[in-house]
Amino acid sequence: MHILDLTILEIHQALVEKRITAKELVLESLRRAKENKDNAFEMITEEEALRQLSELGEVEEDNPLWGIPFCLKDNFSTKGMETTASSNVLNGYTPLYDATVYQKLREKKAILVGKTTLDELAMGGSGTTGHKGKTYNPWDSSHTRQVGGSSCGSAVAVSSGIVPFALGSDTGDSVRKPASLAGLVGMKPSWGRISRYGLFPFAPSLDHVAYFTRSAADSAILLSVLSGRDEHDATSSFKPVEDYPSYIGKPIAGMKIAVLNDVVNTISDKVVLDKFNKSLTELEKLGAKVDRVDFSPELLGAIYAAYMVISCAEATSNDANLDGIKFGPYLGGNTYQEVMSNARTAGFSELIKRRFVIGSFSLMAENQDVLFRRAQRLRAKIVERANQVFEEYDFIFAPAAPSIAPLFSGNSDRLSDEYLIADNHLALGNFGGFPSLTLPLGFEDGMPLGVNFTGRPFEEGKLLAMAEAFESVSGLSGLSVINRKGEKL
Amino acid sequence: MEKITLELLKDAAHRMMFDMSESEYETLLGEFATLTKQMEAIGKIGGLDEYEPMTFPFDVTVDCLREDVPEKPLDKEEALANAGSKLDGQIKLPKVVG
Repeated sequence: MHILDLTILEIHQALVEKRITAKELVLESLRRAKENKDNAFEMITEEEALRQLSELGEVEEDNPLWGIPFCLKDNFSTKGMETTASSNVLNGYTPLYDATVYQKLREKKAILVGKTTLDELAMGGSGTTGHKGKTYNPWDSSHTRQVGGSSCGSAVAVSSGIVPFALGSDTGDSVRKPASLAGLVGMKPSWGRISRYGLFPFAPSLDHVAYFTRSAADSAILLSVLSGRDEHDATSSFKPVEDYPSYIGKPIAGMKIAVLNDVVNTISDKVVLDKFNKSLTELEKLGAKVDRVDFSPELLGAIYAAYMVISCAEATSNDANLDGIKFGPYLGGNTYQEVMSNARTAGFSELIKRRFVIGSFSLMAENQDVLFRRAQRLRAKIVERANQVFEEYDFIFAPAAPSIAPLFSGNSDRLSDEYLIADNHLALGNFGGFPSLTLPLGFEDGMPLGVNFTGRPFEEGKLLAMAEAFESVSGLSGLSVINRKGEKL
Repeated sequence: MEKITLELLKDAAHRMMFDMSESEYETLLGEFATLTKQMEAIGKIGGLDEYEPMTFPFDVTVDCLREDVPEKPLDKEEALANAGSKLDGQIKLPKVVG
């Protein structure tokens, strides 16, 4: 096993002790990126990585991100580097500025080695709709299973050992679901905790910057670096940034966990249920108070439809600027309307067009009350119910997905409770802007399973303490395809 | 809500400034059938009218002005760098007026 297969903290220790140099680390990362066969990348940023390496200087003992290779999802703006969000409508687009999160990571001297592929424009949850084709789950060498999406490439980059962390975005569950399917820690903090300046917007009332790591402790390090008010993002929070790593190792005795009965009851996979139930017993042994709570199957079952309507409606507006005029391929036409229509007809894939039509239809004056407004009212009711739970409990807890990664050939019944509730409940975190974290539970047939904790707004510290405690229960901190661990549950 | 027809979907697509193939519209019609069932189920959830539409998770109030720091705006070359059709330092489009 290579040092690159360790966590950020362990790699940092190796750099400080000079057991490896940053150059050796980054070259190994680039080598793995080039050899990867899972279709993880839009671009391997070798030239930029070598340039950043050359400016690195001496190792900084108090900076755990110094010299650490990482990836960005290709919907973060990077000055001078093509950024397409895996859409043909943005082929050739080169941003003129850096996303705030990229700037922060560069200031910490982390090294960008790649921009990862995604479901087109971050809309989609399968990792199959980007303009470079399907992205494969690295835990399944037969390439028959999804890794999920939309942050599919970033999930691959971390779980296959190319980098110890990668950034993604999460509008419905686009980091936390792939984290479950790829055996990773996927963190989506509170809405406003991390600046979204430079992130291509999809549905701003739901969009979050989120990220993958291989441990809760690494997640805490990143949160401290990425968080904070940004004058370039009016929706970023003024709340002070806490010392999140200081929460790691704190006891969870007395913390209250609400297990979502309505999610668990829809899951048919016995292995998921067995491991999940065992984890509850272990959490109780650590002193947590665990109760099974009835949320409301009616409300949970409505999340997916409300999400589709709200996110598609917001997307129609946000992506109106993709017109082939200011940027993107110019395909000509006899009128400016034709120019736009030609660019958008050729540039968007079928799935994106379908989502835009759903959004457009929902916003038509004659439909707005029964679609868009109704979905927004429903969102308010769902969030109200979640806040009622949070009055008594610190966390909402459930399996992050009903099963291991689905087959590409699989076909869910989109009206079943298992699909509507167990496969889509994570959007609750986006509806309420709650911090929400997925981490590994165990394995079934050699494929990872995950759980999800969701907490009160801006209580990320407590969430990270719980996540680290859960790692002691699962035994799966530091997990990757190369660094396989023995599961405890 | 209007009854969903192919013509209606085509109108919605054209408002979004793109077109789709006939088979893509058929797929979309099927997708709408599912979504409509789900939204009808939502319509049966009681008391929704008592809630204000939720547009953001939290109110974000900015009650101060940022420092007035002079910045260099993009120059013309940068601003046009990503445009595919240009002429004499401007974006070139088909004529709008005769």
